[in-house]
Amino acid sequence: MAGPVISARELSLVFQTADAPVYALSKVNLEVEDGDFVSFIGPSGCGKTTLLRVIADLEQATSGAITVNGMTPQEARLKRAYGYVFQAPALYPWRTVERNVGLPLEIMGLDHAPERIERNLELVNLKGFEKKYPWQLSGGMQQRVSIARALAFDPKLLLMDEPFGALDEIVRDKLNQQLLELWDRTKKTVVFVTHSIPEAVFLSTKIVVMSPRPGRIIDVIETNLPKNRTLDIRETPEFLAIAHRVREGLKAGHSYED
Amino acid sequence: MSAAPAIAAKPAAREPGNAFPVAVVCLAILLVWYVAAIPMNWVVTGPKIEGAGGGLSNTLAFSWNEARPVLPAPHQIAQELWKSVFTVAPWSVKSLLYHGWVTLSSTLVGFILGSLLGIALAIAIVHVKFLAKSLMPWIIASQTIPILAIAPMVIVVLGSLGFTGLVPKSLISMYLCFFPVTIGMVKGLTSPEVMQLDLMRTYNASTSQVLWKLRFPASVPFLFTSLKVAVAIALTGAIVGELPTGAIAGIGARLLQGSYYGQTVQIWAALFMGSFLAAALVWLVGVAERFTLRRMGVKP
Repeated sequence: MAGPVISARELSLVFQTADAPVYALSKVNLEVEDGDFVSFIGPSGCGKTTLLRVIADLEQATSGAITVNGMTPQEARLKRAYGYVFQAPALYPWRTVERNVGLPLEIMGLDHAPERIERNLELVNLKGFEKKYPWQLSGGMQQRVSIARALAFDPKLLLMDEPFGALDEIVRDKLNQQLLELWDRTKKTVVFVTHSIPEAVFLSTKIVVMSPRPGRIIDVIETNLPKNRTLDIRETPEFLAIAHRVREGLKAGHSYED
Repeated sequence: MSAAPAIAAKPAAREPGNAFPVAVVCLAILLVWYVAAIPMNWVVTGPKIEGAGGGLSNTLAFSWNEARPVLPAPHQIAQELWKSVFTVAPWSVKSLLYHGWVTLSSTLVGFILGSLLGIALAIAIVHVKFLAKSLMPWIIASQTIPILAIAPMVIVVLGSLGFTGLVPKSLISMYLCFFPVTIGMVKGLTSPEVMQLDLMRTYNASTSQVLWKLRFPASVPFLFTSLKVAVAIALTGAIVGELPTGAIAGIGARLLQGSYYGQTVQIWAALFMGSFLAAALVWLVGVAERFTLRRMGVKP
């Protein structure tokens, strides 16, 4: 594929509030290549979610340039270029699992045959739960349904905003493993927001370390861990070295504060 | 059983001892009512009781069986209800079923029109910011005017246009009952969370898709709550609409005739008929609500 999937140049976003402007993003430069798994990591208020929302055209940058698939984020959104996974599952409670996953297909006027939906549920290991309502599933299962929903119309790009933030560590480990397998199998480009260092290092090919006030990028780390890794890799020196560098980056970001 | 993980269904547990407190309250009301009938009817029954020589048994007998009492005893109302419901043909003007049906028909027409108007207004208000500011004050103002003041005007104006009977009564009903539906539906249509709305935005969904696939289903519980209020006041509207028209049929007409001729027992019987109708209508909306929500997979 020609050119990067996402390219941001000197991107800034200022929220005008009653007392003082808030610099949510300040001069952000970023490239995401096809097939990358990129994580944004940083403390709350560092603009990682805002950056993801700018990519998704849910917020608009104040200055600078950004392209998604070579287009403006708005054009990319209108062309339905990405699937978005929110912090909460945001399932529609009156729809069964099957009909929740079929929702984007219905809206886009695409074929929403049961087989197609079933294939997506298989990707997140939820086959057999088609007829359940969201309240009948655990939090982790609900979030997996929302991932299947984001994948339903087969977008090349998957944007994930702290999708596992509300889950306990055991479930989170398991879902990280599953997500990695899914990424490997589907060859999607993933942009992933997190505030967990092990999660970012384990999942990513590229880690973007961010810092607050103003929201900016401190460090970009290429990880180069083997592709078919398991959770055991978290004990290896390579893994720990990367985690250390992320932690140093986060610390450096904080030293600007009083 | 299938292999799919079964969700253990809790047996629908009824609140224990629900009937007992209700019965106690009913008995207390009946007791107070019977006791109150004695002093309240004294104006009429006092001389008769004294003429008969006084005493407890005479007092009770006269106070509770007066033909034109100020406050009829409950059993007199029950007798009148029985007589005017079961002993006369349902299409006769003496039948409360007939009068109930006349009021019910304009209630239902008014309720359906009012609900549709209420939903339409709410959809307009939610989608057009300008309307939220310009329409809302008028909608609220419409409800501050006493219906008793407006009803005669509506009837006179429509009467001069050739509309009598069902139409003006239904319109008064509609005028009263669209309001809770509008308020409830504005709340319901704006109830989806930011994330659920953002999701639709990422799909580039059209406004009507957001309305039908998200806003409307999310508003259903709000809709039924307001429909329950609306159906009860639609009935009130229909009864009020019968008062200034000189209508000869309907619960309202029955109330009016009763007061002309001092037939307090008849007034009370008509009143009870109206209450039964209201209770039945609210109950029916409740049944429709439970059915719909179950179909929508709401957690029981």
